[in-house]
Amino acid sequence: MNIESFQNRVLPAKNKLFRFALRFLGNEEEAKDVVQEVFIRVWNGREQMNEVQNWEAWCMRITKNLSLDRIRTLSRKQTHPLEDGYDIRQESLSPHESTEIQESMNRIGQYIAALPEKQRQVMHLRDVEGYSYNEICEILELDMNQVKVNLFRARQAVREKLMKINAYGL
Amino acid sequence: MDSKNIEALLNKYWNCETTLEEEQQLRDFFRNGNVPEQWKETAAMFRYFEENKKKSLNDVAFDHHIVARMQPATKGKTARLFYNTMRIAAGVTVLLTATWFIRREVRKDIPQEVVDTYDDPKLAFEETKKALMMISKGFGTAESQAKKINMFNEAQEEIQRKKDTKL
Repeated sequence: MNIESFQNRVLPAKNKLFRFALRFLGNEEEAKDVVQEVFIRVWNGREQMNEVQNWEAWCMRITKNLSLDRIRTLSRKQTHPLEDGYDIRQESLSPHESTEIQESMNRIGQYIAALPEKQRQVMHLRDVEGYSYNEICEILELDMNQVKVNLFRARQAVREKLMKINAYGL
Repeated sequence: MDSKNIEALLNKYWNCETTLEEEQQLRDFFRNGNVPEQWKETAAMFRYFEENKKKSLNDVAFDHHIVARMQPATKGKTARLFYNTMRIAAGVTVLLTATWFIRREVRKDIPQEVVDTYDDPKLAFEETKKALMMISKGFGTAESQAKKINMFNEAQEEIQRKKDTKL
């Protein structure tokens, strides 16, 4: 693989890797650092790339491992990613509605951030990135059963919180 | 899609039985503003997923940075190749120069093959004969000298014999 094909094939995955790293680290600068490190590693190990079936999942796995390393060296476990608001302006929504939705989204961000790490990872890969179960297994190095259990628990936990809001308006 | 369908899909979703396509349908449905009151929060969740997917690395120089960090490896590779080639080339050059000098020295010391050859066979024969005669003369001289040494041997044998008869 030469630099050009690396730029065309591998580098475009940067945003996915960035979001995944951000999910772990909760800090954009740290996440960016990790993604850089991932690309350098992938570049240095590019001979192996032909043997890797799904190189994107491979990159995601490296991102996961490096992010966990980073968390360990930082010796602080950041469980809540910074939610810097969402721009959801839409013609069909009144300003009041969009503020309301924005608040709800921030709350959901907090619920997800409060989930145990594995559940958070699985939920991110499935619901945000839209990976198949097989790919999630490959990325997280878990078996199918573990992936499904973690996703189930994550969704149930979020659902419970949502039901409480609906019931008590909290 | 009617709300019955959505409700069924949502139930499947919470039980982790939806396919990726069905999850996309849910996201599509909750994207627009006309969501029934009871699903307001659920809609916010699907919006949250979608908005999160839009998050990107906000750094225009990122690619450039990565490529810049990749360059040294390739540069090093070519440089190493060039360096090795030059090393081999230098070695070969030294060897060739040395061989050339030695050859020149050797040629200077040893005169090249005899240039004179005779076109006339008779003359050549005479010359050869002359040369052979010279050698044979040399042999003759050597023989007469050797004969002198022989005299010593004979004398020694004589003495030996006399010693034996005496005993």
